[in-house]
Amino acid sequence: MMRGRSLVRLCAIAWALGVMPSALSAQTSDSLFATGVRAYKNLEFDLAAWLLRRDLAQLTAAGAPATERAAGLVYLGASDLFRGRRDSATAVFRRLVLLDPRFRPDRLVFPPEVTSLFDGVRLQTKTVTVEVPRDTTIVLGPGSFDIWLIASSFQNVEVTLRYADGAPFRALYAGPIGDSLKVPWDGLDAAAAPPPVNRVVLRVASRALTGELAGIVQVPLDLRLSRPDTLPWPPPPADAQLLPERAKSGAAKRSLLGGLLLSGAVAALPAVVGGTETPSGPRMAVAGTIGVAGLVGYVLHRPGRPLVANVRANQTLRDAWQRRVATTTAENARRRREVHVVVRAGEPSLIQPRGP
Amino acid sequence: MRISLAVLAAALTAGGLQAQALRPNGSASFVWARVQSQVPAGTQDFAGNVFLGQGAVGLGRLQLSLSYLQGTLNRDGALGASRDLVEGTVMLGFRALDWLTLETGPHARAYALSGSTQRWLFWELRARAATAFVGSAAQGYAELWRAVAADANVPEPFDHAQGGEVGMILRLARAPLAARVAYRLDHAVLGGGTRLETVDGVVVGVGLAWH
Repeated sequence: MMRGRSLVRLCAIAWALGVMPSALSAQTSDSLFATGVRAYKNLEFDLAAWLLRRDLAQLTAAGAPATERAAGLVYLGASDLFRGRRDSATAVFRRLVLLDPRFRPDRLVFPPEVTSLFDGVRLQTKTVTVEVPRDTTIVLGPGSFDIWLIASSFQNVEVTLRYADGAPFRALYAGPIGDSLKVPWDGLDAAAAPPPVNRVVLRVASRALTGELAGIVQVPLDLRLSRPDTLPWPPPPADAQLLPERAKSGAAKRSLLGGLLLSGAVAALPAVVGGTETPSGPRMAVAGTIGVAGLVGYVLHRPGRPLVANVRANQTLRDAWQRRVATTTAENARRRREVHVVVRAGEPSLIQPRGP
Repeated sequence: MRISLAVLAAALTAGGLQAQALRPNGSASFVWARVQSQVPAGTQDFAGNVFLGQGAVGLGRLQLSLSYLQGTLNRDGALGASRDLVEGTVMLGFRALDWLTLETGPHARAYALSGSTQRWLFWELRARAATAFVGSAAQGYAELWRAVAADANVPEPFDHAQGGEVGMILRLARAPLAARVAYRLDHAVLGGGTRLETVDGVVVGVGLAWH
């Protein structure tokens, strides 16, 4: 009786759709989903299934997010189950698990028949979701590109990086996974060398416990190596900064000529101011003393004499420059070692093996 | 004239006095001095060691210097009375260039003879050039002066007088101490050359200079 009434209503809606296709196309996916859910709650499962399938078709065509499609799928699966189409419900739930391995039906909304069927399908369906940073930069070697795997159920996975032609590039992990797993990649290839190509494919193969291949998720990764610029060498001390390290002849000449001039002035003082009859002995003693001082000054400031204070000051400058060179050398060596790789992840794709 | 010179010097240096620190210095020296007096009656020579104290204080380009010399000179070559020599100067100076200082002021000299004192007073203009010639340790200097006016209680009228000093000052690198050796000579002519008064001496001393 109920089924007959639903059929009548379905026909009425189909007629309305045929009469007013433009009106239906204007109808939003939200309203289809809401109507489908309302029909499900009114136990009009045929109508709910029809509406939800149509809603899902629109969402899939529009590339809607997985969360939106998952909500429709769980109601669709439940509707199919209550329509007595268990195989169809299983297929819908399998599609749901493949779409989002983390999805769990709300046990307050769906009865145990639905959740039990879903859990059974989930346990049978071996798939993983791969989550990677969309665009990141890591340091080759010590850096880590973290690959998160979220599994639908306990299974074995093989995580490998492959060249674009499918040849192996680097094996990252092979083993069991329960709920989730983080697989790091240091950016290097199998020989611990920087990647020689700018595109690899991250491949995660799910296997049942029997070893049977259950599915493959592939994520293309674009790679770009970048090496930081090295620092320029610090310039050596300019000539203008360096003090003369050898005495020039100026100071020596000044001493000698100054001594001679002053000695001459002492000797000639009586001739300049008068009193030429003064005894010359004391005067000559003073002139001689000053002359000797000039000679001593000449010896002390002789040309080419090393200027110790200047040599020491220049050495301090040169040592400081050498320290800057050593620091720059170490920094450049560190920068040469520190190669960065920029990783851009593409859209993941799911490959399902053909059934028997 | 003297007041005008002082006012001119003060005007030239007034701007530089602000933010200038006083630069005092002083020295004590022994002078082996000789005095020769030539008069128509004959020549008298006196010699002896006398004490010379000098001090100066500088402010900007201005400088005030004082000197005092005192000692007993003995008759040279013959027995006779000695004479006491006392001399003093007060000079106001202006450092026209880094190496050139111009000074003016009175220079008084007295000979204490037995029973009388011969007094001389010169108003002098001095020019002093000084510069280092052995690194910065040894500074040589030469000073010339000429009397623009004089007064002496001797019978002969004053004709002219001039003098000079040439020497060397050695400074220690890390101390305000300095040593000096110099030769100085004054020569005065009176009565158209009938009386000649010559005073010369070798100066050896030590000094302190605060910078």
